[in-house]
Amino acid sequence: MKSKKFLSLIIGLVVLVFMAACGDDADGSGGSGDDQEVTIGTLADITGATGDTGTPYSEGQDHFFEYLESTGGIDGLDITHLSEDYAYEISDAQRIYQQYRDRDGVSAILGWGTGDTEALRQQVASDQIPFMSASYSENLKDLDESPYNFFVAASYSDQGRMVLEWIKDNHEGGDPTVALLYNDTGFGRSPIDDIKDYAEEIGVEIVDEQIIDLAATDAQSQLLNMEEHDPDYGIIQQTWAATTTILRDADTLDIDTQFIGLNQAVGEGLIDQAGDLSEGFMGVLTHALPYEDVPGMDEYIEYLDSQDMTVDDINMQHVAGWVVAKVMVEGVKNAADSTDGEITGEDVLAGLEAIEDLDLGGLAAPVTFTDELHAGTEEIRLGIVEDGQWKAITDYDSYR
Amino acid sequence: MKSILGKNLGNYRTSYRADMALLNSRNKKIGMVILLLVIFLLPMFASNYFIGLMTLCIISSIGAIGLNILTGFTGQISIGVGAFLGVGGYASAILTTSMGYSFWIALPLAGIITAIIGGLFGIPSLRLKGLYLAIATLAAQFVILFIIRRWVSLTNGTSGMVLQRPTIGDFALSSNTSYYYLSAIAFLLSAFYAINLVRSRTGRAFFAVRDRDMAAQIMGINLFKYKVMAFAISSFFIGIAGSLLAHYTMIVSPEFYEINVSIQYLAMILIGGLGSVFGSILGAFFITLLPVVLNIIVGSLSGILTDLSHILSAFEEFVFGAVIILFLIFEPGGLAHMWSNTVNYFKKWPFSY
Repeated sequence: MKSKKFLSLIIGLVVLVFMAACGDDADGSGGSGDDQEVTIGTLADITGATGDTGTPYSEGQDHFFEYLESTGGIDGLDITHLSEDYAYEISDAQRIYQQYRDRDGVSAILGWGTGDTEALRQQVASDQIPFMSASYSENLKDLDESPYNFFVAASYSDQGRMVLEWIKDNHEGGDPTVALLYNDTGFGRSPIDDIKDYAEEIGVEIVDEQIIDLAATDAQSQLLNMEEHDPDYGIIQQTWAATTTILRDADTLDIDTQFIGLNQAVGEGLIDQAGDLSEGFMGVLTHALPYEDVPGMDEYIEYLDSQDMTVDDINMQHVAGWVVAKVMVEGVKNAADSTDGEITGEDVLAGLEAIEDLDLGGLAAPVTFTDELHAGTEEIRLGIVEDGQWKAITDYDSYR
Repeated sequence: MKSILGKNLGNYRTSYRADMALLNSRNKKIGMVILLLVIFLLPMFASNYFIGLMTLCIISSIGAIGLNILTGFTGQISIGVGAFLGVGGYASAILTTSMGYSFWIALPLAGIITAIIGGLFGIPSLRLKGLYLAIATLAAQFVILFIIRRWVSLTNGTSGMVLQRPTIGDFALSSNTSYYYLSAIAFLLSAFYAINLVRSRTGRAFFAVRDRDMAAQIMGINLFKYKVMAFAISSFFIGIAGSLLAHYTMIVSPEFYEINVSIQYLAMILIGGLGSVFGSILGAFFITLLPVVLNIIVGSLSGILTDLSHILSAFEEFVFGAVIILFLIFEPGGLAHMWSNTVNYFKKWPFSY
């Protein structure tokens, strides 16, 4: 009897699928009233492998769109923001992308990591939907291959070059030696060749490279190998988990190398995970820290107040999400100015490419897109952990 | 005697030919025609979004049929499906993008290349069984992905490769509908082949190997030949699915073929029904559509309970796990078994005994 009940349950479920799926017809275009309608979709990672940083990033976007709505929105524009969790699964990203494109008729997408960005970059190009992600991979700069991809911060390669530049300028006593610590994924390998080329160009010696898995719980053997070359600095291209492992094992093995993380290794989450071990760890700051007193933070604080929250409830990833949404809305605004009809992905592309020196009030470096460059900036700051807090030690600067 | 559905109860066939016919009753013939009509007329009624979903379901079905030939028919477990999909995808990408062959040559070649590599990784199956074989195929998963990542000159390493949609003359299959038709044809051919495979000498040998390989060997079945053959045939379909998927998403990258893809395909055949072609198809549809349905449910719930969406975002993983456990406990035969139970119930109604 049990199995029959279960059977009918399943049949019911299957029927539901078909009814629900058939009922969803495309309704993206066409509008009511005089407002131009535009829909923006977010691919968020909340429950997946990179959910620790993905969740605040997508919340930051939600916050910005809610703030925009609470302040009355933008004249003549009716922006709908959709967000869905793809759990860092490529197949889910593909499915949600189809849903955004065919059912919701989105004009632009705010993506997240290397996985979804790489998986969709060819499709967004042929469907002409701008795609802005937090994957700052240098190869997305190649507009022949990825003409519809954008990112707002400095690419991993530019971050690495800036770190080398800083090492060269600030190292005392002899020639500095550097090791690279990264993982064997598209994300991990992305800046490595560029960093090596630039090191050679400016005369900083890369003495060692170690591959440490993203989910590694032990890095002692790699660190022992690295220690044989005794580098002065170690550049880390990892997320928080692996960075914590590296810092812990370096402490165990008494390694005195100064570690410097690129932006994915940096953030409040690292301090939470690594605790005291993170003291003195340096890293790339692409965005403002919530507790910094910068003019751009005012509207965020205004929003947080309205939600009974404070800056203690958000972190740098929230700020990054807020900023990416703000930049996207700026592009949509430009697109709306240029056309009276429906705002297509092409219009948004042109709108984004019209953004020049967009001042983000210190939340991030000013953003410029052109039809030749879809990386918003090359500028970063360097920061260091002191007394359990990140502190910026340089101003926004690029390696050039 | 006839049932109320007008079906003959009992065996009235008078020739071997009639006995072997695939569509051996009028109802089956009518059903087949309706099924074909639904498949080919669907794009006229359904939305673009729905067609896109169906394309994904159909491509997964081809892969699931492939895996079921190996795991369901021959009883050799494989946790390397993800990597074999990758072999198919990359073979297609290298043949079309780097070497300039047309898609129509690359598709079968991708299948054949995957079959050869699958056959190679099947060789240990002669000595290894059960858990040990599972681990050996797990090794295939990692070895293949390692090679894809490191052989940069051939595969472009971790940055992946770009593919184009296939063309017929000047017409590119860039729309959802045209690609759906292409996948549907490949799907029908695969299903037809697999259904016939079961009825052939080879298929029966596969079953014999699954049920008791020692006994099969005593009966004169060459274990080595049939086990490797199962790996090769299975990998051929997985390669075809990989190639179709790669041309659909127009990009391949090692990150698409991780171990979780393998697990998903295993879940498809488990839920659908081991050793059943129909089950593979049901399972593939089920697993592909599960997140869509859950999303709709969560979406409609969050209208009532606004703050729930964050809590329920992890709901999918939970249901995925729960469904597998429930199936293993209550219906190890999978969806296919449920279907045949239902059909039999109506066939014999109202006198079910």
